[in-house]
Amino acid sequence: MDMRTQAKWDKAAPNFDFMAGRGAENRWRPFKQDLFSHMDGNILFLALGTGLDIDAFPPGKTITAIDISPKMLAQAKPRIAAYKGTIQAQVMDVHDLEFADASFDQVFTSCTFCSVPDPVGGLQSLRRVLKPGGGLYMFEHTGSRYYPFKIMMNLMTRLTARFGPDMDRPTVDNVKAAGYRVLEVNNLFLDVVKTIKAVKPA
Amino acid sequence: MDSRLYFVLGDLAANIVAGLVAGWLCALVISTGWNMFLAMLLAMAIGMLVGLVLFFPFGIFFGAMEIMLPIMFSGMLAGMVVGMYAAMMPVSGSLGALYGAVCGLVGIVTVWVANVGLRGVRGMERGN
Repeated sequence: MDMRTQAKWDKAAPNFDFMAGRGAENRWRPFKQDLFSHMDGNILFLALGTGLDIDAFPPGKTITAIDISPKMLAQAKPRIAAYKGTIQAQVMDVHDLEFADASFDQVFTSCTFCSVPDPVGGLQSLRRVLKPGGGLYMFEHTGSRYYPFKIMMNLMTRLTARFGPDMDRPTVDNVKAAGYRVLEVNNLFLDVVKTIKAVKPA
Repeated sequence: MDSRLYFVLGDLAANIVAGLVAGWLCALVISTGWNMFLAMLLAMAIGMLVGLVLFFPFGIFFGAMEIMLPIMFSGMLAGMVVGMYAAMMPVSGSLGALYGAVCGLVGIVTVWVANVGLRGVRGMERGN
C-alpha cells in the first residue's frame, strides 16, 4: 500500500465534495452517464472516492469498487447504500490489486490516472485483472499538447501535486504504453477533459 | 463550449472578473517608462496568478478544467495588454480594469472557438 498517496487523499477527503461535488461534477455528469452506460458484466471501478460518480451509474449493476483512501470510502457509504444495485467497496492500491488474473469484464476509471503515482504500472495492474478482450473505459483529464495551455498545466501541476492530482499527465500515451489497444479518444473540453475507450488485446 | 446557460454565464463571469482584476492590478503595479518586454512578462505572470487564485471560488460552482484554463488564459491576456499599455502611457486603475474585462471576454471566446476545433472523437490518433 502506498501510504504517502493514501495519506494525501485521506487529508483531502473532508473537503473533497465541497471542492468537486458541484461545479465539476454537474458539468461532467452527462458525459459520465454516457460512458458508464456501457457497464456490463463483472465490473471493476477504480477510485470510487466519496462516491460522487455513483449518481451517474446505471441502476442494477454489480460493481466492485476500490479506493486507496479509507476516509474517502467512509464518506461514500451513504451513496453506496442509496445505489439501486450492488457496490462492493474496499480499500486497495491499484499497484497491488488483490484480485485474480482475468477477473473482470470491464474496468472503469473516473479522474483517477491524474493521481496514480505510477500510471503505466497502475494501468498494467488493471490489465492483469481484466479478461482478454475486456474493455477499459476512462473519464480523465490530461495535459494538453497545445500552447499556452500546456505551460499552464505544467505550472499548475507543481502546485496541485502536493495535495491532489497532476494536471499534465499524458494518459492516452500511458494507456498505449501499458499494452492496451485504444479504440476511441473523445475530447470533451479542448484536448484536456476526455473519455478513452480501450481493450486488452485477446 | 457548454451550451447550458448556467455554465455559459459562469464562464463569462469568471473570465470577465479575472480579466478585470488582472488589468486593475497590472495598471497599479506597472508604471510608464518601464521596459515594455519586462513589463509584459511581469504582467502576464500577474494575470496567470490572478486566474489561479480566482479558479478556486469560481471552480467550486462552475467546473474544474473548464474554468481553470480559460481564466488563467484570460488573466494572462489581460496582463499582457494592460501591462504593455501601462509601460507606454499612464493607465488608471479603472481603465486598466475596463481593458482587462474586455480581454477576459476575448479570452473566453477564444477558448470556446479553440474548443470547437479540438473537441470530438479522435479515434486512435496520438494524444495526451
